[in-house]
Amino acid sequence: MRHDVTMPQLGMAQDAGRIVAWLKAAGDTVAKGDALFEVETDKATMEVEAQASGFLTGITAQEGEDVPVGAVIARISDSAEDDSPTPAPSQDQSDELPEGRAVTMPQLGMAQDSGLLVNWTKALGDKVAADDILFEVETDKSTMEVPAGLDGYLAATLAEAGEDVPVGATLAIISADKPATTTARSAMSTPAPTEAKASAALAATTPARAEEQPARKPHPAPAAQGRILASPKARRLALERGLDLNKLVAAGHPQPFHVRDLDDLANLPAKAPATTTMTAATIRLTAEIATDGFTAFAQWAAASHGLTDRDALLAGIAGASLSQPGIVAIERHGQTRSFAIPPDRALSAITRSDDPPTLILRDLRDTALRAVTTGAEDTPVLTLMSGHMGLILTLECRADQMAAPAAIALLSAFAGRMEQPLRHLL
Amino acid sequence: MREITLSQAVNEAIAEEMRRDPTVFLLGEDVAEAGTPFKVLSGLVEEFGTARVIDTPISEPGFMGLAVGAAMTGARPIVDLMFGDFIFLVMDQLCNQAAKIHYMSGGKLNVPLVLRTNMGATRRSAAQHSQSLQALVAHIPGLKVAMPSSAYEAKGLMKTAIRDNNPVVIFEDKLMYQDKAPVPEEEFLIPFGVANIKREGTDITLIATSSMVQVAEKAAELLAAEGISAEVIDPRTIVPLDEATLLKSVRKTSRAIVIDEGHQSYGITAEIASRLNEKAFYHLDAPVLRKGAMDVPVPFSPALEDVTVPTPEGVAAHARKLCAGEMIHAA
Repeated sequence: MRHDVTMPQLGMAQDAGRIVAWLKAAGDTVAKGDALFEVETDKATMEVEAQASGFLTGITAQEGEDVPVGAVIARISDSAEDDSPTPAPSQDQSDELPEGRAVTMPQLGMAQDSGLLVNWTKALGDKVAADDILFEVETDKSTMEVPAGLDGYLAATLAEAGEDVPVGATLAIISADKPATTTARSAMSTPAPTEAKASAALAATTPARAEEQPARKPHPAPAAQGRILASPKARRLALERGLDLNKLVAAGHPQPFHVRDLDDLANLPAKAPATTTMTAATIRLTAEIATDGFTAFAQWAAASHGLTDRDALLAGIAGASLSQPGIVAIERHGQTRSFAIPPDRALSAITRSDDPPTLILRDLRDTALRAVTTGAEDTPVLTLMSGHMGLILTLECRADQMAAPAAIALLSAFAGRMEQPLRHLL
Repeated sequence: MREITLSQAVNEAIAEEMRRDPTVFLLGEDVAEAGTPFKVLSGLVEEFGTARVIDTPISEPGFMGLAVGAAMTGARPIVDLMFGDFIFLVMDQLCNQAAKIHYMSGGKLNVPLVLRTNMGATRRSAAQHSQSLQALVAHIPGLKVAMPSSAYEAKGLMKTAIRDNNPVVIFEDKLMYQDKAPVPEEEFLIPFGVANIKREGTDITLIATSSMVQVAEKAAELLAAEGISAEVIDPRTIVPLDEATLLKSVRKTSRAIVIDEGHQSYGITAEIASRLNEKAFYHLDAPVLRKGAMDVPVPFSPALEDVTVPTPEGVAAHARKLCAGEMIHAA
């Protein structure tokens, strides 16, 4: 098993080291822990130990040479004769990449984890010397020119100017011989390289980091109109109690909403958000008609027009008395059937409906009741009772559901229609 | 129970601890013969002698450094800093040395030191003798900060401070030295990090330090007359802070005003308000407000000086707005 010997980073701000001396010669056996070479940095001179046992081979950095941190300078091999090109890039993942040695994104600061590639200063295929500036990198602190660190030809660039590249990721490949083909890729399209062992750990984190950036959501545009102003506690309690703050908005409640406003919200009528909890005056009107024209009318309508549903007819006559088309519910013996009255009020076009009624018609004709006072309900209620001669009609509602003039008009029209249905329909 | 002044309470606490522990000693400017400009330490030199009650030259960095060294080597110094404003002079000794030595020595060294000093405006002492600088100290990890709100707290907190193995800074309000409060004759200590609920209430929590506790209590009286029930809490120590008690109260009342006499911006009030926002957000029915001193040098003009500090009326006015559910844009 081969082990690459790299230039170690001995100081926190160090980006290169000078090989003072090799303490082992090529082909020597080395044991893990043996002093292998001596490095001089701007601060100190240190001996560097071998990290593996084997034979020292493939020395590429000579004494006196400055070598960038992380660059491979030799190899510890299983045999003294291993003279294959110093650290050949592994072939597995670099499918179309030219052969050569990798140049990686250097770490220029202690806390830096990536660098912005400003530009390449060599073109693909160019001959480069180790000291030649290969590219420029910008970090959060500075912009720096980075030398190639290797002699050879620029065979591949694996990042484009303007791209942010993780420290240790392979940026370029420098081949020993002039390459037949060159490759230029974007860092986005380049799979995390496995070539540099030092970057293996970083490479593992690279895809995750790349995913993070596009996933970062833009700030949601503030919904100027839709935002409800409410205290955090009011929001939480509304959520816990299943209350909808929008109903308070609809009811015209002043914002911001606080906890105490939730009581008002809880008391809002479920079906009539616009009404308030204030008790409006109750209206009760009674009409009496001498003859019941409806029974005969219903028989005629069934015989000549096939309108056999008497409730639909009754709803139609009541609905025709409303100022606007609506839903009329017929209540009898606790059963309710609702009918939608069409805009043209045609009796033949009345349909069943499940919508909340605008008027309830409570049919008590087959009871002995002659008068009712039930008080206002959520919907105006017309009660139909049998009188001594004809019918007794009572309308009860709240003033905020139907004003007095409208209530009088409704009951008068209904009474007239029930007396002589045909005349009013024609 | 007998009532004594805050000044007597501090004097008693120090005297008791000096009798109990021979390693406790006192040093500072005018502490011996003069007994400090506020006469807090009168009589101590007569009992303990000039070896344990040491008058120093006007040399704050010098005697503070001396005290840090003494504390590191086994003594328990009490440093008297004549005015809280002079804390700028001892910042390195206090913040770089005393606060960090235990940590940087790997726990081998302790600095059992008490720095007692003062704070508070409206004494007509002008900008350089009127500041309330507790936030500067509370910002530094390694320092404890106590702020007694009455003679009772002054005695109990001082005794706890002297026995603490870490540096403690005690800020006494210089306007409260003659304020009397019931203080037991028998020995007692007040543990650090335990807030005191001075008054219970249900509508709003007023968190106040030192003399601002009085301001909060007066504001609570004003509010009670209007049917607003205010809870008043005195944290007693800013570091450590009894967060649990504060949060429990705010979860109950869902509103809070934090009152401290330091400048409002970047101050004690901001820190506490921020913690309430972070940890009780979903229990808040109104924004947490700060009431600190105005962000100006304390004026010498009495008319101007009086409007720079929080007042009961000002606190009550804000509390009223919060409880009424008014839209609050700024403190």
